[in-house]
Parts: sequence; C-alpha cells; structure tokens
Amino acid sequence: MASLDDLKKTFFDECDEAMQQIELGLTDIRSGQSSDETINAVFRGVHSVKGGAGIFGFEQLVGFAHVFETVLDGLRNGSLTATPENLDVLLLASDVLTDLVSMSRSGQAAAPDFGAECRAGLEQIIEQGGGGGEGDGPAPAEFDGLDFVPVCVNMDEDEAPADSAADAGDGFNHYAITFRPKPEMLKKANEPLYVLRELRKLGELDLVCETDVLPVLSELEADYPYFWWKATLRTSSPRAMVDEVFEFVVGDCDLDIIDQTPAAPAQIAPEVAAPEIAAQQPSTAVADSPQPVVAAPPLVPSAPAVVAKPAAPIAAATEAAEAGGRTKPAATTTRIELERIDRVVNMVGELVISQAMLGQIVQDMPEGVAGRLTQILEEVVHHTRELKDSVMSMRAQPVGSVFQRMPRLVRELATKTHKKVRLEMAGETTEVDRSIIERLGDPLTHIIRNSVDHGIETPAVRAAAGKNEEGVVRLSAEHRGGRIVIEIRDDGAGINAERVLKIAKEKGLVGPDVQLSDDEIGNLIMLPGFSTAETVSDISGRGVGMDVVRSNIQDLGGRISLKSVRGRGMTITLALPLTLAVMDGMVIKVGQQTYVMPLSAIVECLRPQANEISNLIGTHGMLQLRGEFVPIVLLSNLLDINSPASMSGERVVIITDAGEGSRFGLVVDELLGHQQVVIKSIEESYGAVPGIAAATILGNGRVAFILDVEKLSDMAVNSPIGNAITMKAASPALN
Amino acid sequence: MPSATAIKVLIVDDQNSVRQMTRMTLEELGFRVIHEAENGVQAMETASIQPLDLIISDYNMPEMDGLGLLRAVRGHPAARKVPFILLTGRGDRELVVKAAQAGVNNYLVKPFTADILRGKIEQVIGKLT
Repeated sequence: MASLDDLKKTFFDECDEAMQQIELGLTDIRSGQSSDETINAVFRGVHSVKGGAGIFGFEQLVGFAHVFETVLDGLRNGSLTATPENLDVLLLASDVLTDLVSMSRSGQAAAPDFGAECRAGLEQIIEQGGGGGEGDGPAPAEFDGLDFVPVCVNMDEDEAPADSAADAGDGFNHYAITFRPKPEMLKKANEPLYVLRELRKLGELDLVCETDVLPVLSELEADYPYFWWKATLRTSSPRAMVDEVFEFVVGDCDLDIIDQTPAAPAQIAPEVAAPEIAAQQPSTAVADSPQPVVAAPPLVPSAPAVVAKPAAPIAAATEAAEAGGRTKPAATTTRIELERIDRVVNMVGELVISQAMLGQIVQDMPEGVAGRLTQILEEVVHHTRELKDSVMSMRAQPVGSVFQRMPRLVRELATKTHKKVRLEMAGETTEVDRSIIERLGDPLTHIIRNSVDHGIETPAVRAAAGKNEEGVVRLSAEHRGGRIVIEIRDDGAGINAERVLKIAKEKGLVGPDVQLSDDEIGNLIMLPGFSTAETVSDISGRGVGMDVVRSNIQDLGGRISLKSVRGRGMTITLALPLTLAVMDGMVIKVGQQTYVMPLSAIVECLRPQANEISNLIGTHGMLQLRGEFVPIVLLSNLLDINSPASMSGERVVIITDAGEGSRFGLVVDELLGHQQVVIKSIEESYGAVPGIAAATILGNGRVAFILDVEKLSDMAVNSPIGNAITMKAASPALN
Repeated sequence: MPSATAIKVLIVDDQNSVRQMTRMTLEELGFRVIHEAENGVQAMETASIQPLDLIISDYNMPEMDGLGLLRAVRGHPAARKVPFILLTGRGDRELVVKAAQAGVNNYLVKPFTADILRGKIEQVIGKLT
C-alpha cells in the first residue's frame, strides 16, 4: 500500500499539472482565445489543489486556493467579469499559488502573510460581485443551518417487488424486450445492432447482451448469431413504434415485447427515507425514484454478461462533451520512473557499443564468410537505431515545461521595470531530451531577463519611437535539421553598437582599431568579462553575463548566435542537440590517436590539392575553397600529437562549423568512418580537458575522445600563432 | 449490521491522490472491496458491470460531475438504489441542497478524518461491524 509520503508526492505531481492548466487557461482567457470550458478547467485546477491540500493538511494553501476559487466560480457563473485588471490579479494569484505549492512541497513554512496582497486583490474582486457570501476562514465540516437528514438504507433489503406499484407513473411507456436473432436474420443481411440502434432512438434503453450460448473459439461458426439481448425501454412512443423497429426481422428472430407500463398513473409513494430539506419544496426525484422493474432484472452481475454501456447518461455526457467542441481522447499514458528509462538508455548505449564491436569483427572476416553476417548485422544496426530513437522519445519532453515558467518571469519583470511586455510563445510541444530541458531553464531565464530589462524600452520611449507601447518578447522552438532551435526575439531597442564596442575596447576585449560589423559587435556581449548594463539593475547584471549563457549552451553541445537591429530589436538563437546520450560521429585518425568528431559540426570533408593551400606561419594556413579562404589548422598541433601530417602532402581537411557561419578547417590524417557513439562523460572522473568534450568506446573496445569543436576553434585563435588568423574568420564569438 | 469487509465501495474522484487517500481511510475502517473511477462516466461504466453497495463521489470532475453521476445512478435500473455519499468542499451548501433533491444519501465535507467518514457511512448503511 502506498505510504502517505507517496500520496503526497502524487498530490504534488497533480498540482504541477493543475498549475499548468491554470496558467495556460488564464493566459488563453487574457488573449481572448478561451471557450466556456477554459474557465471551467481553470476552476477545476484550483479546486483540485484546494481539495488535495485540505486532505493533506496544507492549511495555508487551502485558504488561498479557496479565495482564488471563489473568484473563478464568480467568473464561471457570470456574477463577475473577466476584465484585464481582474485577469492580472488572477495571473498573480496563480503565481502565488505556485509558490505556496512549492513551499508546501519542500516542507518550508510560508510567512503567515504570504500572498496577502494578492489575496486582498482577490477579495476586492469578490466584492465587485456583491460579496461571495461565504466568508473566508475555515467553514465548519457540517453545514449547521442546513436541515439535511442522511438517508439510511437497509442493506439486507432485496429488490422489493412492492416498489413496482410506485414505479412508473411518469407518463412513459415501459417495455421489457427479449431479442434473439436467428441465423436467417444474418443470412438476409440484417444487422441486429442496427435494430438495437433504432430501438435506442425511441427513448432510454437499457441493454444487456447475453453470451451464454457462445461456444469455445474452436467451435465458433462465423455466421451464427450467438448473442442475444434483454432490454428495457422507457419511451414516450406507443407500442406500434416499437414493433415497427423490428418489422423487417420479426420473422427471423425470437422476439418478446412485454408492456410494463402501469395501467393507471401511480400515486407517488410516500418516501419515508427521503431527505428533508427545509425551505425547499419536497422533491419527487428522490433516492428511490420511479423506475421500471423488469421481469428479468437487466443486471445480472454474476452471469458472464457483456453489458452495453448505460445508454442515457453516457450518451448525454458524450454529446455534452462534443457540444463543448472539445472531445478529449481517453488518455493512454502511464507514469514511469525516470530511473527506469535511464537504465534502458544505458543498456541501449551498451548495445550500440557491442554492435560496433561485432561490426569490427565482421569487417575483419574474409569476404566469403562475412556475406550473410554482414546482412544480418545491417539489420541489427537498423533495429538498434530504431530502439535508440524510441527510447530517446520516451525521455523526450516538450520544451513547454521550461517555457511555462517564462510568462510569470516576464510579468514580474515588466511590473518591476514599469514596462509593458507581452510574451508570445510558439512550438511549446517541440520535444527534446529531458537532460537538455533540465539545463535549459537558466540560460533561457537569463536571456529573457536581458530582453525585458535591457531590450524592451519603457512605454514612453517606445511611443516616442513610434512603436506600440507594449513590447513583445517572442519565444519559439522548432526542430530543424536534427537539432532543436530555440529563438528568443524581442522588438526592443537592439544592441547599442557604439557603446558595446566602446566598452569592449576599454576592457581590452578587442584591439583599439578593430572594425566590426553590428552582428560581430553583438557577439561581443557573450565574451567573458563583459557586462553592458550601465547600472547594475536588480534584475540582470548580477555578474552572470551572457558568457555564462554561452558556455551553458556549449556544454549542452549547442550553439548560440545573436542578431540585433538597432531600434528594431534583437534575436538570440539557440541550436541544441536533441539528445546528450548518443550521437552520430565521424571517427578520425591523427598520428596514432583515434578521435570522434560530432557529425553535426562537420560541414564537409575534402582532400585539397597542394596549390589550394597557402601556408601562413608554421602550422596554420589558409585553404582556398570555391573562391573563399578558410583558415586551416593541424589538429595534431592543437592537441600536441606527433603526426606525420603537415600542411603539405597527403591530408584530409575537415571543414567544421564552429559557430554561426564561422568555418575553419582541421587537418587530420585519415577518416575512419561514420558511427553512432555513446557519449561517456570524462569530466566527472577526470576533469575538463581543453578541446575534448567527452569519451566513447569504439568497436575495437578502445576508448576514443570526442572532440569539442568550438573549444578547438577557440584554441586555434588563442594559440600564439593563431592570432595571426583574422578574428573574423576563426572566432565564433566575433562572427 | 453490515460488515465492512463485504461492502463493495466505489470511490469516484479525478484526483489520484484524493482517491488513494480515501482508499487508505476506507481500508483503515475495514473495507476490502474498493473500486475506483476517475469521473462520472467511468463510474457509470463500473456501476453497470459491478454490483455496488456504496458510492463515494467527489463533486468537481471533468466529463461528468458528481451531481451528474448521482442523477445517472438514480436513473439506472441496476444501480439506482446504491447508497450515494457526495464529497463536497467547504461552503458548497447549495450543492448539498441540489444533491438532496437528486436523491443523495449523505454528504461529506472535505477534508475528513476516518472517524467522520465512518460516521457518515454508518448514517447511511447502519453500524459497521
């Protein structure tokens, strides 16, 4: 049995879902994209939080949720209106509620007046609607003034036949119908289910399918009607209409229709046990409300009867749902502990390695022997890849889980900075591995903070510049070329190029005479030690600059780039790998060493002619590539390896894409082939090594290092001779 | 006097945590046959194929709420006599009035203790043994 702690955990998981629903609903309402169901969903969300919190004893949470819920109830029943001001308070309330939930979760006591201001705001809204009636403060568990008498039933009582006298009298006809199709009916292409469907149209039909003559499967004849039905029908239609339904099949079935409508309208039997409500007229619809009692009780739970779904209520519910325009398919999800999935991911990783080893052995076999084996191995490779993709998709989560924190951030920032900012989001459902999701929150938060704090101008400034007073920050995600691309765009002032360049020169980040384009200047803000804020504000500029964001993104194997148009705004683009566990790599050889280079970083590989290469100084050179010059550098030199390769002679150049648009060539000895590799971190056990991102195990069982291309490009620039290469060409930061 | 072990109960609530909590409390009281449903529609499906002795249902649920379920149960030939206890929040007074009109046997304000739950059940089906 689940422990109380487990249940609490379940409750908090539910809270997370509810909070998401609340936030989403309120945002939809504010942007005018809501339906009637939206406010209901928000209400239910808050109600769920309140209900669970009550059961688990989180009093403060209950108190706040109650006031929140009261306002939503007012909106729901129309006594309050969703003005923009009210919605702001509600959005704030959803933030407070989120905080209270997380405090309750961590067992941290909230200050007694936590959220008091917001609560006052909510109460003020309730006043608008003429006061909610219910005061706050804990209501009693019983409604004292209510004259409710619990209705006691006798558990031993059987279906009392005496009741039938009191039954009906509701103006409806009641029929008990037994319908047993004969084989002829099917042979004449009459479908019993159509008949039943017609019958159902006449009124409330209760149907029990009898399967007692159904033989074992081996004796089953495909064209024999084994099923038969017992039904009760409550209808306003006369008997003739019922007979009409069976008109075409009456000769081909055993049909029994018994009219059970009481002859005279029965008087309402005195209901001794009826609940008595003061101030309400006595009701006729009470516990034992009139119903047909059928000769054969329609429900025989002990018999292996297949029961058709109860017609009326479900049909009504379905119709209602459809009318609401939103039929939700039944959720077919299951919660799995992440650890279990991670275990599968690890096993797939091991499988990839074993498979690579197998491949190695097969490759070394004589041609004739390997033939069939190669074929099978190819299949294994194919299946492994599919297995990997499926497991990865299990770990994948929509980026929405990170995005959902942002509306609140923007709201709070806008309030603090007295700016008007609207956050637009797109592509929240784009999926990416959860390990990436987890580490995406901080960089995104930082970038958005920057956008609101530094990018978007105050309403007055915007108005003066002829812009809409409300600034827009747009956050979007999409899959592009095997990566996930996240874009943060604002329509603010953009980067002040002169100022950035001035600061960069003052801090010695660039030479005093350097000429840079606007984009290049923009990228300067991502250099370590750069902070643009003239005044270190409360919001950004806590000493954590864009350089940290950049290195965070690079740690994830991603790239960051920035585009700014003065006065029009700024766009920051993050391109991230979809997973961190397995990747496609190119196995290369330098000297005696084998390395793996991420395939995503490779633009092309080529074997240039000697006359296409110009030696600059020592180990660095330039490659003439289709009329353009690309700097090249010996990998052996960067990694300090003895290698026969030099700028001249037989060599392979890998053109890599180290940053947005900045390309450089790495000279290696040999390409060994393309392979999926499992990424094994070395930082945990060894520490960071410049130029090396991680390690992997190759097919021959040996460890190979995975190269960190961006770092290598930095190293190429920062090596003494490397400085000779123009910054524009080699540095991702400056291009 | 009904024995708790023999009573077949259906808990209806869209929140798993609340269902589990109610189940735990019922188990504490000696109940052994406990079914669960997430909403009114599911509950009706269960009620149509399972003989039940008691339904304890929340009010606020998607698809079909507690009041809808109560009405559906009372309108169902096989389940119409099943005792029905409605879970309500504090302050849902009008709901109780409506539920009484629809034939509810008892109501229970959340949150509740095992003792309160026992009391409410006993008011409906008699003293538990």
